[in-house]
Amino acid sequence: MEAQATTTKKNGYHKAQLVRSILFKVLMLIVIVIVLFPFIWLLISSFKFEKDIITYPPHIFSSKYTFENYIKVWDTIPLMQYIKNTVIFAGATMIISVVLDSMTGYALARMQFRGKTFFYYFVMTTMMIPFMVYMIPLFIEINKLNMLDTYAGLIIPRATTAFGIFMMRSYFVGLPRDLEEAARIDGLNEFGIFTKIMMPLAKPSLMALAVFTLTNNWNDLLYPLILTSTSDMRTLPAGLALFTGQHISFYGPVMAGAVISMLPLFVIYIFAQKYFVQGTAMSGMKE
Amino acid sequence: METLDTSTSKKRSFFQFWNQPKHAAYLFMAPSIIVLLLFMVIPLLGTLGLSFFNINIFFTNTKFVGWDNFVRFFSDQRAINSMWHTLYFTLLETPTQVILGTVAAAALSQGSLFNRFTRSVFYVPVICSLTSIGIIFSMLLDPNIGWIPYFLHQFGMSTPQFFRDAHLAMPSIAFMTVWKNFGVTMTIMLTAIQAISPSLYESAEMDGATKRQQFFHITIPQIIPSLGFCVMTNLIGSMQVFDQIYVTTAGGPEFKTESAVQYIYSRGFSAPYELGYASSVATILFIIIAVLAVSSNMYMSHKEKQMK
Repeated sequence: MEAQATTTKKNGYHKAQLVRSILFKVLMLIVIVIVLFPFIWLLISSFKFEKDIITYPPHIFSSKYTFENYIKVWDTIPLMQYIKNTVIFAGATMIISVVLDSMTGYALARMQFRGKTFFYYFVMTTMMIPFMVYMIPLFIEINKLNMLDTYAGLIIPRATTAFGIFMMRSYFVGLPRDLEEAARIDGLNEFGIFTKIMMPLAKPSLMALAVFTLTNNWNDLLYPLILTSTSDMRTLPAGLALFTGQHISFYGPVMAGAVISMLPLFVIYIFAQKYFVQGTAMSGMKE
Repeated sequence: METLDTSTSKKRSFFQFWNQPKHAAYLFMAPSIIVLLLFMVIPLLGTLGLSFFNINIFFTNTKFVGWDNFVRFFSDQRAINSMWHTLYFTLLETPTQVILGTVAAAALSQGSLFNRFTRSVFYVPVICSLTSIGIIFSMLLDPNIGWIPYFLHQFGMSTPQFFRDAHLAMPSIAFMTVWKNFGVTMTIMLTAIQAISPSLYESAEMDGATKRQQFFHITIPQIIPSLGFCVMTNLIGSMQVFDQIYVTTAGGPEFKTESAVQYIYSRGFSAPYELGYASSVATILFIIIAVLAVSSNMYMSHKEKQMK
C-alpha cells in the first residue's frame, strides 16, 4: 500500500493515502497491544507477591518482585515430572511422526504401486475425523493393551498424522522426476534413495512439520487427559488445568506455571518462526 | 557351487523383490497405515458399536441395548443443551475468526518490515496452549483483579462477571478463542492472497477501483477456495470445543457453557463412567459435524462457481 502511495503523482491523493497509512499503523499497533499485553502482564505478575497481584485497580508494575511463585508452584505440583512427561511425549511423537509421515508421503508421491489411489484417499479421509469421535474406544483399546499411563500409550497413537503425510507428499511431488533414476543407476536401493537423497532435500518441510507436530502435542489437553490418570504421567497442560481447578485461590503460582509451560515453545518460535508459519500455511493448502 | 548359489540368489531375489518401487512402497507406508488403522479406524468403528451397548469403564454389566442410548439422548436435556451450547459457540467463533483473519491477512499482505513484524506478533497466541490462555483470561476477566472489568468500569460501565455470568460466559470464551486462533486463519489466507496475480490489481487500479472495491471484487473471489477451507476447518474445530471451557468455566455456571465434547468426557470419564452412552452422544455429534462440514463445503463450492 505504501509503495503504491509513493508512485501516485497527484498530491491530494498522496496525502489521503499517507493519512490512511498512518491510521492503519495506529490501528495495528492497538491490536498488537491487545495481543501482547496479556503475555507481558502474565510474565510481570508471575514475579509479584500475591498481595500485589490481587490489587484493585490492577497495576502492571509493582514495587517489589520475587521468585516466590516459581518456588511455590514447584512445591505444590510435580512440575518437573510434568515437564519431563511433556518433553518425552511431544518430543518422541515429533521425531517418530516426522519419520513415518515422510516415508508414507514419499511413497504416495513418487512410487507407482497397486492401490495407490486407495491409500491416498484413505489417508485423506482420516485427516477429517475429529479426535473426540473415537476417543472412548481408543481409551478402551489402550487400557486393554495395558498402555494407560505409559509413554508408549501416549506416543504410539500419535506416531503418524494424516496431515503430516499430506504435507510431505506435496513436497516430494514437486521434486524433479529424474532425481531417483540417477540414484538407481548409481546402485542405491530404495531406502537409500529416501534417506540419502530425499530426506536431506526435504529439510525445510521436515522442520515445518516438526514444529507443527511439536506444538500440537505440547499444547494438547484432552488427549493426555484421557490416556493418563496418575499425576506421575500428566503433561503440562493437563497438570496445569487440574492445578488451576484446585488452587485458583492463589494466582501467583498458577501464573508461574503458565509461564513455564509456554516458555519452551516461545523460545523455539523466536528462532524458527518461519517454520511455524510454513506449517500453518501448509495446513490450508488444497490440491 | 550350485547349492550355494541358490541360497544367495534367493536372498538376493528377496531383496530385489522388495527393492522394486511397486513393492517397496508398501514397506514405506506400513508403519503409518498400521497406526492409522489400529488407533483411528478401529476406534472409530468402535464408537459406532459401543453406541448400542451399556458399557462402563470397569466392563461390568455390559449388555446390548439397541437404540436405547439414542432414545435416551433425546430426553436428556443436559446432553441436548450441550449440543446447543456447542452450536452457539461455533456461530460466535467461526465467522468472527474467519472475518478477522481474512481482514488482517489482506491488510498485512505486503511484505514491509512493519507488516511482517505485525504478522509475527499476531501469530504468537497460536503457539500457546488453550490451557495457559484460559488461565490468563480467567485472570484478565476476573471481576476482582482483572484489567478488562477495570477498563469497563473506567468507562462508566458496571463490571460484568464474564465467565461467571450465564449470558456472557460463552461470548467471553468465544472471544478468547478468536484472540488465540485468528493468526491461523490469517496465515492461511495470507498464502492465498499472496498467490493472486498482481496484474489483477494493476488493471483495477487503472480503472480507478478503490481499495475496498479491490478487496471485494478481486481478493474475495480469488480466495474463495481457501476461505471455504478455513470455514470448514473452523467449524469442525469449534464443534469440538473443550480445552478452553474446561479450564475457564468447567461448563458452568449451571452447565450453561458445557460443550458437547465436555459432556461426552464427563459422561464417560467420571462417575458413573457410561462409555456406551457417551459413545452414542459422540456419534450424534459426529453426524452433526459431518452435516455441517459437508453443507458448508457445498455452499462454498457453489459460491466459487458463481464467482467464476
